[in-house]
Amino acid sequence: MTAGGPRLAVEGVSAGYDRITVLHDLTLAVAPGELLAVVGANGAGKTTMLRVVSGLLPARAGRVRLDGEDVTGRPAERLAGAGIAHVPENRLVFPGMSVADNLTLGAYSRRRAGRTAADEDRAIVWDLFPRLRDRALQSAGTLSGGEQQMLAIARGLMARPRLLLLDEPSLGLAPKLVTEIFSVLGRLRDRGDLAVVLVEQNARAALRIADRAVVLDRGRLLLEGTPDELLTDPRVQAAYLGRGYTPATT
Amino acid sequence: MIDLLQLVVAGLSTGAAYGLVGVGFVAIHSVTGIINLAQGEFAMVAGFVAIALLGAGFPLAAAAVAAVVTVAVLAGVIERVAVAPAAGSSAVVYIMLTLGVSTTLKATALLVAGPQPRALPAFTPGVLDLGGVQVRPQDLWILVATVIAAAALYVFLERTTTGRAFRACAEQPVAARLVGISPSRMSTLSWVLAGIVGAVAGVVSSPVFQTDWNIGLFLGLKGFVAASMGGLASIPAAILGGLLLGVVERLVAGYISSGLQDAVAFFLLIILLVARPSGVFGRTGAVARV
Ligand SMILES: Nc1ncnc2c1ncn2[C@@H]1O[C@H](COP(=O)(O)OP(=O)(O)O)[C@@H](O)[C@H]1O
Ligand SMILES: [Mg+2]
Repeated sequence: MTAGGPRLAVEGVSAGYDRITVLHDLTLAVAPGELLAVVGANGAGKTTMLRVVSGLLPARAGRVRLDGEDVTGRPAERLAGAGIAHVPENRLVFPGMSVADNLTLGAYSRRRAGRTAADEDRAIVWDLFPRLRDRALQSAGTLSGGEQQMLAIARGLMARPRLLLLDEPSLGLAPKLVTEIFSVLGRLRDRGDLAVVLVEQNARAALRIADRAVVLDRGRLLLEGTPDELLTDPRVQAAYLGRGYTPATT
Repeated sequence: MIDLLQLVVAGLSTGAAYGLVGVGFVAIHSVTGIINLAQGEFAMVAGFVAIALLGAGFPLAAAAVAAVVTVAVLAGVIERVAVAPAAGSSAVVYIMLTLGVSTTLKATALLVAGPQPRALPAFTPGVLDLGGVQVRPQDLWILVATVIAAAALYVFLERTTTGRAFRACAEQPVAARLVGISPSRMSTLSWVLAGIVGAVAGVVSSPVFQTDWNIGLFLGLKGFVAASMGGLASIPAAILGGLLLGVVERLVAGYISSGLQDAVAFFLLIILLVARPSGVFGRTGAVARV
């Protein structure tokens, strides 16, 4: 690990599907203990960016580094063990399995670390999401959307990640649940070592807890700055905060 | 009444063999999306291996176990050598591929063992009389073997980490990769499991159906119909489907005409494909995939 270097560095990455290129020469970095918000319109390439970082989609050009180590092209199933936890769009919990089994599988990449380590981790995520403990034996498919989102995050944490990637965790959730989940994300970041990339269309909520933010526009980096800088940028206000946005002062 | 019971017992036992073959279809299809047209051949090869080992002087139990292990390894090797290199191909490619594997196994059996059918002896000779119902002991052996195989599979899938990972891969393949489960390892495992259940069916049913180079077509078709009743997605449904098919076949043969016995499977298959593509016991509504 390079002391003081970024946890995640995306360097000039291009990627896409079949004949279309979605990401164009994208560069960004996240430091340990930092929460980076990635906002942008539907179709901007946010999910694609996360898929490249976690190894679900190969990059066509550029590099992905984790703590300085080049992990470009490593498949997702190996990056899970290297410390990247990707909480995907639509949660993708294992619906036919219990909450407890979902968590056990979250620790799959560390299955040789033994049962005590997994029990400790389970206790930690149960502290973060007490609702999950109450539903430990319920099958994940029967949880509410908010609970499934909590479970997907908890499952990601069971791998003891260095880098947590979250794809639209607020999607379809009531504002109260969004607040609850985002406050947990803030607590995770405050532990000091975990780097978090939070992809959100709900830019306001994301900017409220982020240390730094970038705006993606049609696969390119449009803006980068602190939440305050972005919140006062007229382009961001017009395009991403949308109707109903009121500055925090009112 | 006695006749009916006798037909039902015999039907349950052949049905159990169909169900085991069906479980093989489910294991591979649920994880890889492939319909393995060589599934019946696993049973055929296992039957021949057991017959050969018995002929070479091994005790029946050892020959049976060795046959199952041999086919499990063979299935894993086939997956690595013939299937894995084609990863990401379309369904048509896999149909051709597994058809090729099936044909190769049949041709090899024909060359090595010749065209005449052979059979393992019944594990226990004689006929049992259970309150007037005449039962072949081999029928009970088939049922017992099926129960043991199903229970072992249940414990593996529900209670072990690897088994949970296997189910995870079937339920939600993208999320499975994201927690570190290798789809290619699970694909190999699915073929090994399919080899095991197919082989168990081939060995225990050999005294009843006999073993010849072409028996895989018969068992494979029946197993496929059994598996289709659960939409190729559920192991319990495949076993239930097999039992149902076996019993209906016997009843049709006993009360209508034995000439119609083999038409039952086709008839059920057509009804299934038209009326309930997700299976009789299957869940409707596919799991979302990303
Ligand atoms: N699997 C796919 N195959 C083809 N095109 C895709 C696929 N996934 C996404 N795209 C396209 O890539 C672009 C970016 O999508 P995505 O990364 O999902 O954006 P976002 O997450 O910002 O909404 C969109 O135009 C979308 O249609
Ligand atoms: Mg998206």
